[in-house]
Amino acid sequence: MPDITFVKPALPRSGALVLLLAEGAALAGLAKTAEEATGGAVARGLEAAKFKGAKGQSCTLWAPGAGLSKIVAIGLGKADALDAQGAENAGGAALVAVQQERDAVIAADGLTPALAASVAMGARLRSYRFDRYRTTEKEEDKPKLERVALASAEATKAKAAFAPMQAIADGVFLTRDLVSEPPNVLTPAEMAERCKALEKLGVEVEIMGPREMKRLGFGALLGVAQGSAQEPRMVTMKWMGAPKGKKQKPLAFIGKGVTFDTGGISIKPAGGMEDMKWDMAGAGTVIGLMAALAGRKAKADVIGMVGLVENMPSATAQRPGDVVKSYSGQTVEVINTDAEGRLVLADVMWYCQEKYDPRFMVDLATLTGAIIIALGHERAGLFSNDDTLATHVKEAGSAVGEEAWRMPLGDAYDKQIKSDIADMKNVGGRPGGSITAAQFIQRFVNGKPWAHLDIAGTAWSSKDAPTVPKGATAYGVRMLDRMVADHYEG
Amino acid sequence: MVKLVLQRSPEALRRHKARGADSALILPMVEGKAPDDAALAAAAKAARFTGKAGEVLPVPGAHGFTILAGIGAGETVSDWEVGGGAGMAEAAGRAQAILLADNATPEQAAGFATGALLNAWRFNVLRDASKDKDAPPARVTLAVASPAKVEPAWKRAEAVLRGVFFARILVAEPGNRLNPASFAERLRALKEYGLKVEVLEGKRLATLGMGALCAVGGGAVHGPRLVVLRWPGRVKAAPVAFVGKGVCFDTGGISIKPAAGMEEMRGDMAGAAAAAGAMLALALRRSPAPAVAVLALAENAIGAASYRPGDILRTHSGKTIEVLDTDAEGRLILADALSYTAARFKPRAMIDLATLTGSIITALGHHRAGVFGNDEALSAALMAAGEAVAEPLWPMPIDDEHREVLKSDIADLRQCAPAGSGAWGGRFLSDACHAAAFLREFAGGTTWAHLDIAGVEAREEAAALGPKGPSGFGVRLLDHLVAMRFERDA
Repeated sequence: MPDITFVKPALPRSGALVLLLAEGAALAGLAKTAEEATGGAVARGLEAAKFKGAKGQSCTLWAPGAGLSKIVAIGLGKADALDAQGAENAGGAALVAVQQERDAVIAADGLTPALAASVAMGARLRSYRFDRYRTTEKEEDKPKLERVALASAEATKAKAAFAPMQAIADGVFLTRDLVSEPPNVLTPAEMAERCKALEKLGVEVEIMGPREMKRLGFGALLGVAQGSAQEPRMVTMKWMGAPKGKKQKPLAFIGKGVTFDTGGISIKPAGGMEDMKWDMAGAGTVIGLMAALAGRKAKADVIGMVGLVENMPSATAQRPGDVVKSYSGQTVEVINTDAEGRLVLADVMWYCQEKYDPRFMVDLATLTGAIIIALGHERAGLFSNDDTLATHVKEAGSAVGEEAWRMPLGDAYDKQIKSDIADMKNVGGRPGGSITAAQFIQRFVNGKPWAHLDIAGTAWSSKDAPTVPKGATAYGVRMLDRMVADHYEG
Repeated sequence: MVKLVLQRSPEALRRHKARGADSALILPMVEGKAPDDAALAAAAKAARFTGKAGEVLPVPGAHGFTILAGIGAGETVSDWEVGGGAGMAEAAGRAQAILLADNATPEQAAGFATGALLNAWRFNVLRDASKDKDAPPARVTLAVASPAKVEPAWKRAEAVLRGVFFARILVAEPGNRLNPASFAERLRALKEYGLKVEVLEGKRLATLGMGALCAVGGGAVHGPRLVVLRWPGRVKAAPVAFVGKGVCFDTGGISIKPAAGMEEMRGDMAGAAAAAGAMLALALRRSPAPAVAVLALAENAIGAASYRPGDILRTHSGKTIEVLDTDAEGRLILADALSYTAARFKPRAMIDLATLTGSIITALGHHRAGVFGNDEALSAALMAAGEAVAEPLWPMPIDDEHREVLKSDIADLRQCAPAGSGAWGGRFLSDACHAAAFLREFAGGTTWAHLDIAGVEAREEAAALGPKGPSGFGVRLLDHLVAMRFERDA
């Protein structure tokens, strides 16, 4: 992945130059310099390509002169309508256009320092690649890009604006790495180990194993884990960034981390089962979020907790019909061993409340197929017992292009998880499947404001988006970082 | 419909006494307030009766057979409805029921009676119910302080009830009795109430260019119909339009449905039934709002003349549709009905109702219908109306991805995502959103909302406001919407 630097506007002597052009705007600044240096090749080329600067439009001028290998023009749309997301998308498009060059300059000299930083963020986010398991990839197939320089008249300011974004991007990349890792590598123990990397950012990391869980009575989580040869873990990550004298109860983020989900005895169909390596995306997102918050030294006290298990069918696996006792004391009749994520969350969430008395809890989980049937892949399902918290989550998501859609809760749905012999059962049937899953989780919310994000449809993407290459999206990291920044700092 | 009479309470109470155990006296109880009568108060205390809305306590022996019916805070009409309904359920098997509402406002009293009658409705046309031990009382009295004062509110409520029951009967009628021809005849009979009725069929539909409706209904012995119901109203404004899916029986066509549960497909005309019921209600209560309903009636049958997957249909709008699945027929007939309604009536608002997708049941279960649309104010008004009459909705999104899947290689659009497409072998398609995106194409610029009422058109089990079976969902909602929003000049 290329280094990103900020420089004063100057025409590079070689490599690629990216021009960010607003609709209908005349060539100015670095673009004008390039136009003059190439003897009018820029204007001629853009006209021949019918390039108007519309949002998303792009055009490549090969060997335009002045020693450049290419000039890429990227449309920004109307200049006065350009926002941070638009700038990020342009940065992402720029990155893709110059990936096979060694050096590239992006001319952001027409933009404010903040928007120039957003262009850099977009380029950074799009440059992500998970290639650690490719050993025979041909040189010509690998991206060559080593350095991207953002040319800005106020380079110092733009660089300063980019610094916290870089930390967030690092968190996003950590999440994408975790979610992309294969399940034979990323076991619960390995995933817990990787959380320790956060210590160098100043995060306190505590790891709990099965013996301690058993002692505490994590019957729901342990029931899921018992079929696997891999031991479960619970990891607590603490970032205590609130300034002294401004301490409040901590914020809590909780993630489902099923490192591989076969479904257990209620085994899944074979087709597509490999995707279940990313059934830990909720936990992966919480870990990346903690890295982002710590990396940019967020002024808030935040607890991140993840429950890590593998769901396997085996001689020791839990069975449909088993009744388990959760850490809260409530009992659960396990009807379907493939509805395991909620069992994991149940114990972690209750423990979180007992131990840390948080101001609110937000949990993330690739929880149900039903949420995909409900909403598709553009939005996660958002469930909450608190309208303010839900609004904060939703608006923060919209601000960073991670959209959520509020879904209902209610007694009528809660009735669907009544059990004949236990306090509840772990599935409520097909109707309203993601809602009954949320109702289940809500039974482990002890009077706290709470929001639940069902990210089954958004954690992984089958196609490229401007700032998110296909694969692990890290959906939620930027949303929740933004929510903390907007409402819970200082 | 059970006959209800209004009576002054002293006389009604005398009648109650005279009938002994054959009469049930239903008393509304505000939550937390003990009954005035000592014996009833003692019973309530002993049984820990609190008066929550819908809670009931039968008290045999005290004043004959008395039923305490909780009405919660006793303020909203819907609390009184739930109390009346739940109380009525306890009166099963008695010859008469006396609803005592002498301390209520006229609207509350009417609500108490509305709940009771919604509960007591039965479809006994096709069976001998004379030996039914749990039959609801045939005679119901609403006992009030002043019948004259309650009369107007009750008349209005009664009009709406008749609309609901008209719809419930249509939904209950089996496919061998209710086909597009006989459905149209029943609608023609609404002339009696001042509705203008037009039935378009055969060549006329072809001449109008309704290629989708003709194709879907073309495989059946009784061809498709488009029925237009008009209520002139008094307000000088364009009408509000209801568009209903009326698939009298849905085999799925060539893409035939599995046998299990197929009998429920007799109710696949519930959208049209609700629209017709709402029109009847508006006519009976002489609503000032001009309204029109356009009902697309067809039987989706298998036959030599059935339409096929792969067929391309030219719709009334001129747009062509590629058929992928003949069981996604509702959106096809609605396509023609929507564009016809928009073009002919230029309505203030157009609301379609359809038992459209299984996906909406997975999304929202049986407790809420989904509302989609192109106008937030209309959707919000529908939501509010639904909450007021216990026909709750939940807003659902139409995103770019949902429109994206409808791109066809050879027609203007295709009707749905291909079976087996998307992740995990197509097990998780957000078809309700796809269908809404499809319909939006045919609403054009008209203010429009779409209610996907699959899952709520019939009750899985008896509830306060109705027995198991057809619910008439939508009639009260539309009536309330019109009353709130369309009875004043535009």
